[in-house]
Amino acid sequence: MALQDVQDSAEFDKILANSSSVLTVVHFHAPWAIQCSQMNEVMEELAKENSHVKFYKLEAENLPEVSHKYEISAVPTFLLFKNQKVVDRLDGANAPNLTKKVQHHANVITPTVTVVAKEQDTKQDINTRLKNIINGAPCIMFMKGSPKEPRCGFSRQMVELLNGQGAKYSHFDILTDNDVRQGLKVYSNWPTYPQLYVNGELVGGLDIVKELAASGELASELPTDDDLNKRLQSLVSSARSDGIYERKS
Amino acid sequence: MSEYTSEYLQEKLQKEFNPLHVEVADLTDGCGGKFSVVIVSDKFEGKPLLAQHRMVNDCLAEELKTIHAITIKTMKPAQWEKQKAK
Repeated sequence: MALQDVQDSAEFDKILANSSSVLTVVHFHAPWAIQCSQMNEVMEELAKENSHVKFYKLEAENLPEVSHKYEISAVPTFLLFKNQKVVDRLDGANAPNLTKKVQHHANVITPTVTVVAKEQDTKQDINTRLKNIINGAPCIMFMKGSPKEPRCGFSRQMVELLNGQGAKYSHFDILTDNDVRQGLKVYSNWPTYPQLYVNGELVGGLDIVKELAASGELASELPTDDDLNKRLQSLVSSARSDGIYERKS
Repeated sequence: MSEYTSEYLQEKLQKEFNPLHVEVADLTDGCGGKFSVVIVSDKFEGKPLLAQHRMVNDCLAEELKTIHAITIKTMKPAQWEKQKAK
């Protein structure tokens, strides 16, 4: 999804309410600041690369109530939202940092959905939760432990396979959430872990992924870590000065 | 740990798939926690890999509740012939 403009605060509230656990990046900008337009170009690139992340720009001075609420005192400022909560913030036109933050948060599937659901006292159906998690990233592995510390031999092998293919993937540690652990087995009609999903579809367990890797079919299934950084470089170098424009009063 | 033996699983798969070849190995020397299954059947013809594995999983659904780990290799008869020729 391309970078979109937010026109008023009602629209902004609606965007946040609808995005639930999907990472939503909002650029508080001013059209008169050249750093902002450079960062908009960076965001366009990031949007192409991260189809599962939503990108918005919002003219800070046109929406004073929103800017005030999130304590925006200068442009450009970037807020990263998940579940209607600010999960990260970046002040200034720092393209490498923005890229890093987006990639970091896009790859962490937080089980906060439950917490929020409980807080709001709305009992979220487990299947809705699973759908949100599965669609939260283009490629996600449900595993025991994490890629750095797999807690089961099968999960470890899958990590090694995916890393070997240069795959870009997120993970969900099923040991941290028993509802997901039990629920996904039923949802996906698949009794074991790890499970690999691409674009919301189950690819399979370790045996299948192994076979696909051996036959060379796996590469075409997976989103890869391509030369995003290379493509961003020209934009990054022009926006590297970390410039912050004070808000006109 | 599960109470299943490789012979029991093999028999169950035999009935369900009428396979050309089926081989179940207990990777834990008889304590029934980890198995590997190789199965060759024409019932897999025209089905994607995921569906083939699902058929095996479905057949062993009850047993998989207590089996800790299982490795599955499904093959169509043609693939099996090819592998044997190697």
